[in-house]
Amino acid sequence: MGKLQRAVTDLRGEPKVVRQTPPILTDAGARASYSPLQRVRIADEVARVLFDEYGAHRKSERGEEETGWLLLGLRDTKEAIALATLPAGAEREAGEAHIRFNSGAQAVASRIVRQADRRLALLGVVHTHPGSLRHPSDGDFRGDISWVGQLRGGDGVFGIGTADGKYARPSDELWQPRANMFCRGDLCYSWYSLRESARSYQALPAEIAPGSDLALPLRAVWPILEEHAERLDRLARQQAKVEFECLTGSEHAALALMVPLADEGRSLRVVLTGKEVRYFLAREGSLLAADLSEPHADRGVYRLLAELAGEA
Amino acid sequence: MDFRPLNDTERRQLITALRGNADTGSALLMDRRDTSFLGIAEEVTDEEVINAIKSVPCHY
Repeated sequence: MGKLQRAVTDLRGEPKVVRQTPPILTDAGARASYSPLQRVRIADEVARVLFDEYGAHRKSERGEEETGWLLLGLRDTKEAIALATLPAGAEREAGEAHIRFNSGAQAVASRIVRQADRRLALLGVVHTHPGSLRHPSDGDFRGDISWVGQLRGGDGVFGIGTADGKYARPSDELWQPRANMFCRGDLCYSWYSLRESARSYQALPAEIAPGSDLALPLRAVWPILEEHAERLDRLARQQAKVEFECLTGSEHAALALMVPLADEGRSLRVVLTGKEVRYFLAREGSLLAADLSEPHADRGVYRLLAELAGEA
Repeated sequence: MDFRPLNDTERRQLITALRGNADTGSALLMDRRDTSFLGIAEEVTDEEVINAIKSVPCHY
């Protein structure tokens, strides 16, 4: 505790907060001011997902196309910590030489992932290249250099996946031929940073750290996210306290969203599956199914809100 | 070790941070080297994240 505890003890004018709720101390080194990125730490499950999904993509019908992911994580003073992958989505626009993500689904997914930790920021982009180009292309640079200014520190993390087999090994263990590369089987990822106003990408040393991919549970409901993204995002912007929950326990995965009502303990719940959208009213510990057939979740919520307002 | 008292600005920041912790559970950051108070964990708004996501350029 040291100096912080002494400082807290010294604040005799504000004793209630200190005594009733001990502060949560973290060992984080985050500050508001950022230095250029010197390293990316990648949660081991994030790395595993990147390799697994790249491998699965190459075996799919669209395996000749480029694919990619967004990275969410924490931006520390000098390093980025990758903690979640948001896939390009089935509705991506891609070919052998380009990839544009389905950003609508990724936006809603970011809302869901960040419910647990509001510090999570967009760190950068991972995408694949055909052949052996292990560096972002000139076309990548033209887009990225005008985009990275939106990221924390004006600095982005960029991963390039390749599958030319140059660093192939028979085992499935991760290994690093260079400080900014990770390889597994015949797949490799090379890591770079790009800072606002920079003239080129810089090789970015990468390390694996223990940790989960916080977006992995969303894979089961990704088709639902893609189908309803625009309306879910609109609803989340209009109703500040909307919360999402991923329901994966039953046979079919579902996405639930909760809209709290003004009366304590009451809320509207919408459950989206691949086939239907169902509406419920949670009241005094019980869940009442609403007799409403409305495929658009936002419309359904507002129709129910209007009906409840009429009863008040 | 530095045992100097907090100045007015640091004291104000710490009080604000402690109130934030009590009210919303926001984390307090501690310097791993000397345990001094670094500030509060910086939260990122949905708008910032989503604007960046929706403007990701095409990659080649």
